[in-house]
Amino acid sequence: MNKKLFIQIKNEWRSNLWLAVELLLVSVVMWWITDALYVRLAVYLEPRGFNTEHCYKIEMGELTSKSPDYTRRSYEERSTDILELADRLRHRSDIEAVSLSHNSHPYNGSNGTIGVQLVGDTLETYGRVIRRQVTPDFVRVFQYQGANGETPEQLAEMIERGEILVSDNLFSSTYNRPLPMTNYIGKRFHLNRDTTSSVRLGASLKVVRYGDFQSGSESRSMVYKLDWFDKDQELCVRVLPEHDVDFINKVKADSESQYRVGNIFISEVRSFKDIRRNIQQGTYNAMRNNITIMVFLLVNIFLGLLGTFWFRTQQRRSEIALHKISGATNRDVFIRLVSEGWLLLLIITPLAFLVDYNLAYAELNSWRNGTTLEMDRLLACIGITFLLIALMIVIAIGIPARKAMHIEPADALRDE
Amino acid sequence: MIQALAQLRQQPIISAVSIIGTALAIFLIMLVVMMQQVKTAPFAPESNRDRFLHVKYMSLTNKSWGESSSSNGPMSVQTAKELYASLKTPEAVTIYMCFTEATPVCLPGQPSKSVDKLETDAQFWKVFDFQFIDGKPFDQAAFDAGQPVAVITRSVSRALFGTAEGVSGREFLLNHASYRVAGVVEDVSTLANIAYAQIWIPYTSTRVGTTSWTDGHMGYMSCTLLAKSREDFDAIREESFRRLEEYNKVIGEDGYYIIHRNRPYDQEKASINGSANREFDVARENRSRLILYLILLIVPAINLGSMTQSRLRQRVSEIGVRRAFGSTRMEIMGQILMENMVVTLMAGFWGFLMSVAFAYLGSELLFSVGYSSTYVVPRTDMSMLLHASTFGWALLFCFILNLLSTGLPAWMASRINIVTAMRGKLH
Repeated sequence: MNKKLFIQIKNEWRSNLWLAVELLLVSVVMWWITDALYVRLAVYLEPRGFNTEHCYKIEMGELTSKSPDYTRRSYEERSTDILELADRLRHRSDIEAVSLSHNSHPYNGSNGTIGVQLVGDTLETYGRVIRRQVTPDFVRVFQYQGANGETPEQLAEMIERGEILVSDNLFSSTYNRPLPMTNYIGKRFHLNRDTTSSVRLGASLKVVRYGDFQSGSESRSMVYKLDWFDKDQELCVRVLPEHDVDFINKVKADSESQYRVGNIFISEVRSFKDIRRNIQQGTYNAMRNNITIMVFLLVNIFLGLLGTFWFRTQQRRSEIALHKISGATNRDVFIRLVSEGWLLLLIITPLAFLVDYNLAYAELNSWRNGTTLEMDRLLACIGITFLLIALMIVIAIGIPARKAMHIEPADALRDE
Repeated sequence: MIQALAQLRQQPIISAVSIIGTALAIFLIMLVVMMQQVKTAPFAPESNRDRFLHVKYMSLTNKSWGESSSSNGPMSVQTAKELYASLKTPEAVTIYMCFTEATPVCLPGQPSKSVDKLETDAQFWKVFDFQFIDGKPFDQAAFDAGQPVAVITRSVSRALFGTAEGVSGREFLLNHASYRVAGVVEDVSTLANIAYAQIWIPYTSTRVGTTSWTDGHMGYMSCTLLAKSREDFDAIREESFRRLEEYNKVIGEDGYYIIHRNRPYDQEKASINGSANREFDVARENRSRLILYLILLIVPAINLGSMTQSRLRQRVSEIGVRRAFGSTRMEIMGQILMENMVVTLMAGFWGFLMSVAFAYLGSELLFSVGYSSTYVVPRTDMSMLLHASTFGWALLFCFILNLLSTGLPAWMASRINIVTAMRGKLH
């Protein structure tokens, strides 16, 4: 049977060559896209280290001298006003926690960086370490977790005491070897190589990722207490789950009567669901494009195979009829035609593997774990690609094959 | 033409496959073209996009910050004025806030509504061509005096006053301060990403213009230079680099240094969604778009090529007869190419129509930009989607697709031996 299949494929090598070239090209492009989506998904599924469910950001505005309600406030008074606004929100029955922070909340467009050095040692960070300046309740709003199981409440107390918190991978990602920060709890650190002062490490944090599509290994961070206040800072709240209904409108309705403090007022309230979508739209767009191309390629395989095999079954009418007379069932006819497609796919797959391997070797695909060529990822993505194309082959060849199944041998041979 | 259509009818399935394949390819290709065009092709109020040079961000460093440290982001009014407003070559230079801000507006005693506010100077109205339906822009005098005046969109006007006409001169509250309407403009799509807002006020009427950090160098502002023509771009860049060099000497006394990263950028370069701390890579964007076009063209071309060959196979004896009666190979090839061109154009037309319809109806899905300060969804209209060049691109891609898919089978068909061909065999 298989030998006959090969002969059949060889006999129609011209049109099979078109199909093979197409399958090869599609297989390579689809592998590249599968690889990109695989990496995105794998990163997406890593633990985030924070939780933004039921969280909202309250944007503050400030009256100018143009407003009749404007009052002259000193810098200190302004800070007190902002803290007072946060405090009034804290007293709402539907709010669990309120925090102020600077370039710190998840899904952020702005960031600042910092260097951390172990006092009396050579260990220090290089490159991007995100600096998060926050009021203690920040870790309760976004539910940070300690690497040793510290609760958000315990972490908040440490920030209150002026201690710093760092992500557990702070040194291990810098030096590329296991140096968990839990080993350094209670030790003192210099910030930005300022040797005139030092701070105590309160706890090591479970890695806090920068966003949904930045992996833990590239997200290093450090948290310490915010000691200045400005209306452009982030005022974030966590709402009690049972009260998280129409929260934005409820706050806005109360905003003028209750939340105008000095010159500070609430100008907008946004859910973290929206903030997250807004900041990650570019990534979503890239994924949308990739998936569209993948569907386009599969549709093309469908059309190509459908057209070619429609033509073939027409040409082979009498042959199929003879086949049926000599005892072939409908299923045999169907499988025989589909196998022709599958065999073509099997023939090009080793070639596709070679091309894919070389593309990965040349670092032209997606990065993960600091490399583009991981054997398990390569094989998994080639496997997924193979299955998707194989499925498409059944659907495309299935249509003419079903028609061929119903050929009446008597009619077909009479035509002959 | 008639022959081509008759051919199509003889093989309905194969013809359907060819037409769907072509239409689908042109559909997707044109979506890619349009996605790029909304970023770079001109439409009101950014009709001068081909003459724009943008400086969205600046990059600042200081000797005391260490080797690789820099601060990247929008600039202060002072920096923008020193570096760009002082240039002589551009026709106009406007300084405006780097991003829109959600701001409450209302009539006294009524609930407020949040709208996107942009703070600008008076030059802004020269650089961008807004369509005023009432009143006029605020002028230089109002700007210099820091008057609380505003230009609002038709939608905001309707929401505030219930009408868009005759409202200039009326007052409303913005951030709880009284502002007077200077003029009303047509709504602006978020895709005009520099000019977009729902309300525009002079930055001298708030504190934004005087707010700065890093010793007055950085602040909230971006700027756009309008050149007299594209030919002036090099001269403007040269003048701006010269100016930067001089300015770096001045601020260098405090250890500061501004890294230019080849700014200002033209519309194409500025439209790349990148971060402030690196130069946007146009070549890389173009390369990935080219690969995308190639994939969208070659895969269907192979498919269509295979279909064309199947169809030609049934016509070998006809080709043989033609050759025997003196048709040259070039004539045979030309005829096959022309026949297929009819099909390609027909299918391409449908694909193009579908892409325009889809772009119009699915604009949120298609044109949502990566990270922006507004949460308003993008809106498109035909003036943004359809340009003379759009049709040109569609035609060009049809030609390429036809040549790719029919060229090889037609060449092979034209080279067959006359005698074997007349016996009905292709090979």
